Amino acid sequence: MQSDTAGSWVPVALSSDLPALAVMPARIASETVALWRSASGRATASADRCPHRGMRLSHGFVRGEALSCIYHGWSYAQGGQCLKIPAHPGLTPPETIRVVTYAVAEQDGVVWAAAGAPAGEPPRLNGFAPLRSVTVDAAIGFIEAAAGVGMNADGFLSPADAPSGLCLLLSDQGAGQTLVHVLIGQDAGPSARIAASRAVEALRRRAEALSTEGAGA
Amino acid sequence: MNKIGMIDEWYPVGLFSQLDPNGRDTWLMGEPIRVAIDGEGNPLVTGGNGRVLAVCVRYGHVWASLGKPDHDLFPIPEADQPGRRLVEVGVVRVRCSPLRAVENFLDIAHFPFVHTDILGSEPHTEVQNYKVEIREEEDEVWATQVKFYQPQAAKSASGGITTEYMYRVPAPTCSVLYKTCPPRPSEWDVITLFVQPLFEDVCDVWPWMALYDDDTPMTDLIHFQQTIFLQDRSILENQIPTLLPLDPGMEIPTRADLTSVAYRRWLKRHNYTYGAQLVAQ
Repeated sequence: MQSDTAGSWVPVALSSDLPALAVMPARIASETVALWRSASGRATASADRCPHRGMRLSHGFVRGEALSCIYHGWSYAQGGQCLKIPAHPGLTPPETIRVVTYAVAEQDGVVWAAAGAPAGEPPRLNGFAPLRSVTVDAAIGFIEAAAGVGMNADGFLSPADAPSGLCLLLSDQGAGQTLVHVLIGQDAGPSARIAASRAVEALRRRAEALSTEGAGA
Repeated sequence: MNKIGMIDEWYPVGLFSQLDPNGRDTWLMGEPIRVAIDGEGNPLVTGGNGRVLAVCVRYGHVWASLGKPDHDLFPIPEADQPGRRLVEVGVVRVRCSPLRAVENFLDIAHFPFVHTDILGSEPHTEVQNYKVEIREEEDEVWATQVKFYQPQAAKSASGGITTEYMYRVPAPTCSVLYKTCPPRPSEWDVITLFVQPLFEDVCDVWPWMALYDDDTPMTDLIHFQQTIFLQDRSILENQIPTLLPLDPGMEIPTRADLTSVAYRRWLKRHNYTYGAQLVAQ
């Protein structure tokens, strides 16, 4: 289990699920962040709370290189400082108004983020490529039990009975949920990709059934 | 926080026009209550242990108190002016602090972003200076000379106008808004927000209006107001923390938020803290 992810890289999303000008909620350990991509393509993870009125920034909108809160339009730079308060257009926001931002790295089609200062680069996918992400209503332990194999230190898991060339990258979401990034060999064709997707769907159902049984026991 | 400081206040618990002899079960500050009509056509509100609560009927709604109110419900003199349409908007349940629902109602700076192209639109985002006071004699929060550019201020408005507002907080979970009345420039439209605190983090919002508008169908007036409140709900259910912080530090106000600052100060002064968060917690 990832008991302490402070300072370690967490795979928060697939690059393809975060197009330019999009914002989405994501979790790093116990923190919820607003993950967003600017017009120029740069991904940023900001604390998911506007310091003005506490609104979730993951409900906001991206314009240019800034993330704006949906409530009053306060906008924040990739570095976290407040750039604009629309109610007072002539005012330069004080330096003290800012949101926390997290380290972000993007490679092999995965967006990684970290609370604290991560040591080194995120793990490489080594010939795998992202297929899709699935949220599973079960903690990592139930997914390991359903897959018949444990997750390694980097969060990778290769299900025992799945088609070869399938690998899962797991991220604990708290509250008994796990974000599963499905990875497949870079050269996999359409039929292998469909088979992999179905295998993960079956695995998800088994893990959720185990979780329900576990909760009922 | 507890409800002690707010227990002797009046709260809306339903529309008088929709009372039912069988009663409707709801909550008031965590206590299960039943709102019914008796054989003589009077509202009957009973608490969790069957005790009969103090009630009154005003502004289309039944009001009840869990304690012993030593004052009448606040007056809205305009409500009795002849010629106004009285609009019972109904109820919107919101998973938020009742105090956050009122504070949002007092806020104009969100209009361009939350009520886009209805109550506000970019680039008309500036909030001009306005006046805020706590009127000691009435013991109410007032904001006056509030002006904002609105693309469609009311159902009866066609095209953008600069609307003037006055806001009033006469009770901890109620606000009365006076707003420029497009068909009658010498009068104010009255739009209220009556909030029933079910729990500290769940409330029923009962908007009510007294308008000079003889033309717009009632259904459209209700739909207009419901549209606005559903937009607000998407905000109110996503604020962190859920409870309204009364002490400085958690949130950052600006000049545009002076009504909110006064409201929070007034709540704290009166120990109106059901739905609030204090630093000490």
